[in-house]
Amino acid sequence: MTRGLKGTAQLLALACVAGLLALLVWSVVHQEHAPGVGSAAPAFTLRKLDGPGTVSLSSYRGKPVVLNFWASWCEPCKSEAAVLERDWTSYRGRGVVFLGVDYHDLSSDARRFVSAHALTFPMLQDGSGNVTKRYGISQVPETYVLDRRGKVVAHLRGPITDPGFADQFRSAIAKAVE
Amino acid sequence: MRFLAVVAAALVLAAPAAACAHPRTSLSYLQGQVMCPTCHTTLDMSDSQAAQQIKGFIAQKVAACWTAEQIESALVANYGQQILAAPSHKGFDLLAWWLPIVGVLAGAVVLALGVWRWSRRKEPEEPDGPAGSGLDEEEERRLDDLLARFD
Repeated sequence: MTRGLKGTAQLLALACVAGLLALLVWSVVHQEHAPGVGSAAPAFTLRKLDGPGTVSLSSYRGKPVVLNFWASWCEPCKSEAAVLERDWTSYRGRGVVFLGVDYHDLSSDARRFVSAHALTFPMLQDGSGNVTKRYGISQVPETYVLDRRGKVVAHLRGPITDPGFADQFRSAIAKAVE
Repeated sequence: MRFLAVVAAALVLAAPAAACAHPRTSLSYLQGQVMCPTCHTTLDMSDSQAAQQIKGFIAQKVAACWTAEQIESALVANYGQQILAAPSHKGFDLLAWWLPIVGVLAGAVVLALGVWRWSRRKEPEEPDGPAGSGLDEEEERRLDDLLARFD
């Protein structure tokens, strides 16, 4: 192999390795992490589950928001559904908004779930899971409580019926309402 | 009467098969084409709740004579393009199809070039003067003239 060709081949190989390294660094840097307490909740716009149109989180700025991530195939979601509905009914009068985000789910099954559990708070659909990824959701159900400025007050990685989370959930709402 | 009953029974049993105007696709085929959204493997390699749900949906649609394309479109409408195991044929996803082909071809070209050059190096070179002289014609003639003075 001539010197020139050898040099070109070496440069090409180096360029490929550098490109792959750059790709690795980029993917590590852009990995989604769950927003921590005190940080701003990622903005999003999602389709409504039960009708046409979309809903943006920003439209609720100025109100405390309970963001519940669920799926119809999730067993613990079934147990917390009734509690969520009860809390929605009791906190609604104080201006708290409950938003359900259904993810990685068939919309037909999701609608059946909502109907079966008589849930009345707004439901959004994140079939692709892109929004859920930005919230660092690893398993459903998970719940975020956001204050009036859109900052995270609490992040519960499990059903709110869990004894460890129930008190945490209510005190987070009380803090968000302040 | 008995004959009519047999015909009616045969028609009822044959109705589902007769209802599909095209060859039916299958769950086993589609399980390899569709991803489990929570486990990042194809459906046939997952038993998760989300995977079971999608398998149920596929089985239901296969029984209803949906084509593979129709089922895949419905899943894409629900979950997004990433639900399919194979990348799409547009935009940045095209790289996933073309890069391996280009890489293999480029490798073959480099290999062929390398073999050709190696085979050429192996061929003996024709000598163009006295062995190891390294002199061109003009220099050889002058050397011969100088040496002739000493004869």
